[in-house]
Amino acid sequence: MQSQTQTEKKIILVGNPNVGKSVVFNTMTGSYTTVSNYPGTSVEVSRGQCEIAGEHYQVLDTPGMYSLLPITEEERVARRILLEESPHVVVHVIDARNLERMLPMTLQLIEAGLPVVLLINIMDEAERVGMHVDIALLQEKLQIPVVGGAMGRAKRGLWELRDAIRDFEVSKATFNYATDLEKDIHGISELMQGDYTLNRRSLTLMLLQRDEEIAERVKDREGDRYERVEKAVNDTIFDRRVDLHLRISLERKRICNGLLGGVITQKDGNQQTFADHVSNWTMNPWTGVPLLLIVLYLGLYQFVGGFGAGTIVDFLEGAVFEEFLNPWVIGLCETYIPWYWLNELLVGEYGLFTLGVRYAVAIILPIVGTFFVAFAVIEDSGYFPRLAMLVDRVFKKIGLNGRAVIPMVLGFGCDTMATVVTRTLESTRERIIATLLLALAIPCSAQMGVILGLLSGVPGALMAWMVSMVGVFLLVGFLAAQIVPGERPMFYMEIPPMRLPQIQNVMIKTLTRMQWYFMEIFPLFMIASVLLVAGKLSGALEWLVGMFNPVMRLLGLPNEASAAFIFGFFRRDFGAAGLYDLQTEGLLDPVQLTVAAVTLTLFVPCVAQFLVMQKERGWKTSLTIFFLVTGLAFAVGWALNKFLLMTGFLV
Amino acid sequence: MKCTFCEHELTPEMLREKGCGGCLGGCRKIHCPYCGQENPIVPELLEKFLKDDKHKA
Repeated sequence: MQSQTQTEKKIILVGNPNVGKSVVFNTMTGSYTTVSNYPGTSVEVSRGQCEIAGEHYQVLDTPGMYSLLPITEEERVARRILLEESPHVVVHVIDARNLERMLPMTLQLIEAGLPVVLLINIMDEAERVGMHVDIALLQEKLQIPVVGGAMGRAKRGLWELRDAIRDFEVSKATFNYATDLEKDIHGISELMQGDYTLNRRSLTLMLLQRDEEIAERVKDREGDRYERVEKAVNDTIFDRRVDLHLRISLERKRICNGLLGGVITQKDGNQQTFADHVSNWTMNPWTGVPLLLIVLYLGLYQFVGGFGAGTIVDFLEGAVFEEFLNPWVIGLCETYIPWYWLNELLVGEYGLFTLGVRYAVAIILPIVGTFFVAFAVIEDSGYFPRLAMLVDRVFKKIGLNGRAVIPMVLGFGCDTMATVVTRTLESTRERIIATLLLALAIPCSAQMGVILGLLSGVPGALMAWMVSMVGVFLLVGFLAAQIVPGERPMFYMEIPPMRLPQIQNVMIKTLTRMQWYFMEIFPLFMIASVLLVAGKLSGALEWLVGMFNPVMRLLGLPNEASAAFIFGFFRRDFGAAGLYDLQTEGLLDPVQLTVAAVTLTLFVPCVAQFLVMQKERGWKTSLTIFFLVTGLAFAVGWALNKFLLMTGFLV
Repeated sequence: MKCTFCEHELTPEMLREKGCGGCLGGCRKIHCPYCGQENPIVPELLEKFLKDDKHKA
């Protein structure tokens, strides 16, 4: 059996996940299949046999891959199969509806010198939305066999695919990149003399895109010659002074756009679906900005601020806790617990129940819950990648690009985690600017919810808060972009289709995030309560509050606001909840409320965020950001107070 | 599951990726290696419940 499989020609199926590779595999092989881990990995690979025109073939179904440059273990295995299994034919399965997104990988496979047959699958679905693919024209342009199919129930295209495999002849097609890039590729390829499965042109491209596994392989095969190859690659990357990874991807995209010219047509009346129109509107600045404002108004202001922080919190906080639970628990404690300190710890001003449980359950949870619902709806619709494209132009002015939308949007959930995600930004410069802006001007979900809820009841306050936040964000970002040195990478991303949010998806994500959030904040709120009670009983809290009092007076705030700022350093949401208490006790007028909200939002990041900042950016940068943010918060608060009093706005 | 931002497929293998360590009780999210988006890991119980529900329907 072993010797038989070794003499069999191999057909390797590759392609993105969910394009129907496994259906093609099952259709071709029937029940003669085995599934086992690929040697040295835990990734499963299916193998089966089929017979075409009397000849036996072994068929391999590889894990999903998006590109020849792997990121995940699955992709690494899929590429290793291509490198090590010497295929007779590589069938690249793509989804007809996403031809434009998936064709760049076909190009990569062809330029690697692999024997490629392109199977355009799911044609039935594409035709249903009025799309027509000219298979013959694409075949002519690509110079490889192209088969259209729908391998679901009808097994459409199966016989054409078998014929293409039977009659397969290796194509010598090449696709030219820009002249300077071609010169670089040629220069480096010439230096390689080893024996490779993939051709040298393709290897050069992967070396220029800093593929470490390929670099190791080239090093093995070239021996002493590798030093020259490595030097040439490094010199080219240095000379170009641009992100070559991105440049090559864009070039490939350009070639694919050219190849697709005249290949895809839409039937009359079916040119663009409504989702396509909405998608375009969201990315066009003229329509995209108003749409963004509508999303913010309905999603955040009305739903999170009005319904979450208003209606639900009012009910839980006012009716359930204040009127029913608190008096009952306080009564129980006073009756059965004779010790003052224990009463304070359980039901005192900062008690575990009266502050910790109340903040976590009655104030924060409804707000983050409604925020997570809004977030999941927006996320499930595919809006966020479009928002990234929309803000790319503005973000460039502040030293970032559209890619930074991800950490910024995540920051509205939790700044600590978003600070970690700044790792995905390409340059150190971008990471520093994004970390600074996250620490300064991006409120976390609970903080924003509480603030929206508080300010929505005061006409003009919310507008003053928003203008201050956006203004500080843009101004500090713009100044940071001038000061922080480093390169400015371009932004490029594929846009997934827009769709109607699925209720089940929204529900799952919301419940999952709420569970995670509650499990995380609840113990922290308990710890914070214990610390505050200890501080109160020992007098340390009073001393700390006393230290803050002069600053509060400078901001025009009452002394009681000091506690909210101290809470805020434990957690942003904790501070916001403290502000909520001050407002409900009637201690803040509209100007004070606005000043406190702005200063508290800008104020130093919470302990967790600071620690992550230190871990990610080091002591020097994180301490600089810490002091800068603290100084800026109080300076903006002071200036805003003066401005509001002087103009009479909100008075 | 698919990444909720860029729609790249996320596999259980990615659960092995180290989290930032900032969350108590460990990381309950998969950070997409393609775009950095945090995707919530659905608790087993909820997933089981939804599967059963789907099966009944």
